[in-house]
Amino acid sequence: MTGKHFFNGAIPTRASLGLLLGLAIMAGAAAAAGPSFVLPPLVQPASAERHTGKVIWADLVTPDIVAAKRFYGSLFGWSFNDIHVGDSDYSVARLDGRPVGGLYQPHTGAGEQRQPAWLTFISVRDVAAAERAIVAHGGKVLSRPKSYADRGRQAVFADPQGAVFAVLQSSSGDPQDFLAVPGEWIWSSVLTRDPDTDAAFYQNVFGYDVFDIPSDDGSQHVLLSTDDYARASLNKLPADAAKRHPHWLNFVRVESATDTAAKVEALGGRVLVKPFTDRHGGLVAVVADPAGAPFGLLEWTETDSKEGAK
Amino acid sequence: MNARSTRGLVIAVFAAAAGCVAGGGYDEGGVDVGVGYGVGFYEPYGYEYGGWGPGYGVGPPRRGFGRPGHPDARGAPHASYRPAPSSRSMPSLPTRSRGR
Repeated sequence: MTGKHFFNGAIPTRASLGLLLGLAIMAGAAAAAGPSFVLPPLVQPASAERHTGKVIWADLVTPDIVAAKRFYGSLFGWSFNDIHVGDSDYSVARLDGRPVGGLYQPHTGAGEQRQPAWLTFISVRDVAAAERAIVAHGGKVLSRPKSYADRGRQAVFADPQGAVFAVLQSSSGDPQDFLAVPGEWIWSSVLTRDPDTDAAFYQNVFGYDVFDIPSDDGSQHVLLSTDDYARASLNKLPADAAKRHPHWLNFVRVESATDTAAKVEALGGRVLVKPFTDRHGGLVAVVADPAGAPFGLLEWTETDSKEGAK
Repeated sequence: MNARSTRGLVIAVFAAAAGCVAGGGYDEGGVDVGVGYGVGFYEPYGYEYGGWGPGYGVGPPRRGFGRPGHPDARGAPHASYRPAPSSRSMPSLPTRSRGR
């Protein structure tokens, strides 16, 4: 039986049908091997290290990736590797060759105005299990689990208060627990209307140890910990919280919050909270890049890591 | 199976295979087939930071901060979460540097 006979109306044999199916699959595979969106692994060389609950990545969602690269490159000395596939523009930010985050400019409709933000990725061992736990405890799925070659499997959610975060099951393991150097992410906070119930949510999903942090202002602050390391804090939004949207806020370690905040303004960003002394004794500040994405600045010295009393 | 229906079947198989790729989507349990990054989310407006300042601690505590024996060490009354035992020292950031 030949193709000519077949297309002339003859009844095909099983062999010719099998051949056609094989061709169809090969055609699909060839198309799939076209442009690919490959993110670098988090850890090189890959390791078996896992730190569930640790913030291991951050992606900036911005309407202007070119301006963002100029800003963060000048501010922190980051360099960038661009990945452009389809209508996606993504760039991997690096500090001294190590990946520290991603910059992403999604396609949006003309005239759409959105809040640029850094999306926080938390380590999990199993994204599907995390998704089930998040939904079971009142969270919302914003993006179902998806896999990226070399990177791993990730998904995006909102906690019961509406703060958006992502989980990542890294295929190369999690970064080791080193003290961040200046220019790297060092800390994360969840600003929320209800730290108490939010703490229960995150504890149920990620297995955190939860510590109540004494505060001078009378509002509730909670610490989330795994592996006996502080991973994030939950902070009650100040008084007029009803007008504010709960969210994660990530902090970059800096030598001087004052100098860096001034540089942010010089580069076209804004200072949202002027540097002030935090509970560890160093300065913190909150700034926004030129597109409006907020992030924190945090001074931290070796001395700050040592045992200390209030 | 007659020739016409077989031809239809073959066309459908090709169309399905091509569609799976051209769509560029992801299947549950699948791997990125390569058309883009689909995890970008703009959030609602409403990021304001008024009310921050001295006393509004937001950064990491030093190790042992406020514990043990601090009146708040056992967690807020009627906390929804399970507080860590008050005997445990308040955790802090890692101290080890790269290359050390």
